[in-house]
Amino acid sequence: MVREVPLWLKVAAGIFLAGMTLLLLGPLVVVLGVSVSESQFIAFPPQGLSLKWYAQVFGDARYLVSFRQSLVLALIVTGLASLFGGASAIAIHRRAIPGAGILATIFLSPLILPTIIYAVGMLMFWSATFGAVSFLTLVIGHTVICIPYVLRTTLAVLSESDPYLEEAARTMGAGRLARLWFVVLPQCLPGLAAGMFFAFNISFDEAVLSLFLRQPDLTTLPVRVYGQLEFSPDPSVAAVSSIMIGVTVLLLLLADRILGLKRFSEG
Amino acid sequence: MKAKILLAGTSVLFAAPLWADTLTINSFGGAYEEAHRACVIDPFTAATGADVSIVTAYSADAFAQLRAQKDAPQFDVIHFSGGQEIVGAKEGLLAPVDPAKLENIDQLYDIAKPNLAAGEGPAYSIAPVGILANSEAAEAPVSWAAMMKDADASHMVLTDISNGYGMLGFLMMNQVAGGSMEDIQPGLDAVTDLLERGTVIVSTSPEIQQEFAQNEAWVAPYAADYAFTLQQAGLPISFVNPEEGLPGSFITASIVAGRDNGDLAHRFLDIEISKAAQECMAQALRYTPTNREAELPEDVASTMVVGEEAVAKLIRFDPTTIEAKRSEWVDAWNRTIAR
Amino acid sequence: MTDRRENLLLLAPGLALLALAFILPIFRMLALSVQGEDGLTGAHFARFLGDPFYLGVLWRTVRLSLLITLICAVLGFPFAYIMARARPRLRTLLLIIVILPLMTSVVVRTFGWMVILSRNGILPEMLRDLGLAGRSFQLMRTETAIVLGMVQVLMPFMVLSILGVLARLDQRLEEAARTMGCSFLGALRHVVLPLSMPGIAVGAVLCFTLSASSFVTPNLLGGTRVQMLAASIYRAVTQTLDWNFAAAQSVILLVGILLVMAPYIVSQGRRHG
Repeated sequence: MVREVPLWLKVAAGIFLAGMTLLLLGPLVVVLGVSVSESQFIAFPPQGLSLKWYAQVFGDARYLVSFRQSLVLALIVTGLASLFGGASAIAIHRRAIPGAGILATIFLSPLILPTIIYAVGMLMFWSATFGAVSFLTLVIGHTVICIPYVLRTTLAVLSESDPYLEEAARTMGAGRLARLWFVVLPQCLPGLAAGMFFAFNISFDEAVLSLFLRQPDLTTLPVRVYGQLEFSPDPSVAAVSSIMIGVTVLLLLLADRILGLKRFSEG
Repeated sequence: MKAKILLAGTSVLFAAPLWADTLTINSFGGAYEEAHRACVIDPFTAATGADVSIVTAYSADAFAQLRAQKDAPQFDVIHFSGGQEIVGAKEGLLAPVDPAKLENIDQLYDIAKPNLAAGEGPAYSIAPVGILANSEAAEAPVSWAAMMKDADASHMVLTDISNGYGMLGFLMMNQVAGGSMEDIQPGLDAVTDLLERGTVIVSTSPEIQQEFAQNEAWVAPYAADYAFTLQQAGLPISFVNPEEGLPGSFITASIVAGRDNGDLAHRFLDIEISKAAQECMAQALRYTPTNREAELPEDVASTMVVGEEAVAKLIRFDPTTIEAKRSEWVDAWNRTIAR
Repeated sequence: MTDRRENLLLLAPGLALLALAFILPIFRMLALSVQGEDGLTGAHFARFLGDPFYLGVLWRTVRLSLLITLICAVLGFPFAYIMARARPRLRTLLLIIVILPLMTSVVVRTFGWMVILSRNGILPEMLRDLGLAGRSFQLMRTETAIVLGMVQVLMPFMVLSILGVLARLDQRLEEAARTMGCSFLGALRHVVLPLSMPGIAVGAVLCFTLSASSFVTPNLLGGTRVQMLAASIYRAVTQTLDWNFAAAQSVILLVGILLVMAPYIVSQGRRHG
């Protein structure tokens, strides 16, 4: 007979969750407050109530262009990073070559070095080798810094997976591709999903590489916000963040409705 | 359909030479970029038919980009506000500016064009660094000495010297405290004293705005243009022109080496330093013009540091010395302020 | 096709990309660390390693990164566990709560912290009212502020890493343990925790490396008086323009982080051959 979870533990869990919510969302409440302020500067508590900053953001074509550029970039990067990172994780997990564990560490190094070092190195290298930077340079740069996330999270779930499953599939005559698709991939999915989520976020939010590998007509959203803050620090920046919060909540609720978020947390 | 394609084809053909006439520059974003566009870029496009591509990049970022891209520079004209043009010229990243190609160059104060032949482009604006004060919260100090001695240090905000304005503000405090370009210890001691009394150090302009907006800051040494930005936002900030005088931060436009449209770049510089453009920038952002012909309406001019006499009085800390000693000073500063 | 070839084929694209688009460019940058005006030199390293100030910055970086990682793990594990066992509705809500901080511009988010932590802020005022703090007490621009801000943004990395592993965990194992007389907490400690270790390890690696290499959040919350190594590197690149020194500091950061992570790397090596 399984004993019930004691009541005090349930209460403790409730208090714990409330505390976590305060820690994680407290500062964001301030952001939401600032975004509906009437004043021209970022201040809290908000003075007056107005939606003008939202109107300004939605009315400013440059914000919309930047949003689209960031979105396209993040989607491409997420796709590439999950492909490269996922495949590498599978190979490393299977001990493709001796020292695969060391290799897994080398794959981490883009996370350890401050992005600015990579950004400057990449800019020097690219300029010397290929000339002017382009959208492609940014895609490659972002992909490199996103791969470690996918690789790590996928490796973690693989290390807990059942090694005999693939063997069984082989015995039953499944081909290589079929085994990868029907056996290995589903095993990777929870980790891959988390990794993809990280990759998307990192790319969408990344400012340093985007700042240095920049060219005219390509200004991602974080770079646009950074530029806005330096010379015209007004609540429109808080409105952009609040819109992002809204979009995230909406997307997740939608995903919940459609998928029940099963894929995310249960594979 | 065919006719349309033909038409599109020919228009591309005709458009081609214009495309070649594109100038890539950096600008500083936000309201600065808007004013830059209205005062300089649009008139330039109207006069030459050439397009201008803008990359939003501050001096420090722009310089790092310029240096890393040495093998394939993307900028034609590059703007700096922290003296980076001196390092750039020394490293051969910038091309010499030919005064013969600039019709307006004679109208500039001499101080704005010290080293054109080396590649240090002319200054088209000056941002004087004085004292920003919240006039509602406390009485504004009338001098640097008064600020350091009498102002409520626990409501004072200093800017880190890694920031160009921060550096000038510090050098000024150093000078008032008895230091010199050879000896910044008096300045460091003064800063230590302020820190002990509760002064805060920030490193970016948005932080200054936030400190004033949250009423944490009452006094801060910073630039006149930012005082205007804060006033525009509705904050009760006044800009104090201290008794001991004030240093100026020079905003320069330089031509990048290794690009092939130098003539167009010179045209751009010429328009940028012109009387009309400088008047326009001064009205929009309160930068001091470097063109002696520039005239401003009385209500604007009265709030600013303008005119030959006033500019001559600006304290000029030798930028070459600053560049030479920057590393050493930042190091000493970091040690002084570290907790 | 042999197994070996299949594996190499899977590995090759990622490896090639890493070698060409990361190792090559980064090597170009890091090579500056040993270059001086006349040939090779160790002067940039000596400058750092012979100076208590910089060693202090390195030590603070390692110390705070470890602390941030520890807090993330201690708070993140129960959070992830509750998520994994919660009803779908609550799980979605918790997921939203944990990832929202990631979706806001860092400068604005930092402003949020400033409102909470500065002298006139909510938290110090509360502490003052309770008589626990003095008049000018503030948390803004302290190590505490860095830790709070970093924990807030890194929490999703920890929680989602653990969740990925917990989701694959066979719930019957836990039930079996409890049927055999284990208390709830006992089962958590003896069954769930050990099995979620790979997830915690990944979360810890991400949190630790990201804490050590982040610049914007620590710089804005800690201020320039509480410097971390990444900020010092940024400054050398963009302000003092001393790229040789920046490169040397980066090498030291890289080596320092790898040394701290050595036990983990070794265990990974055993695990994955």
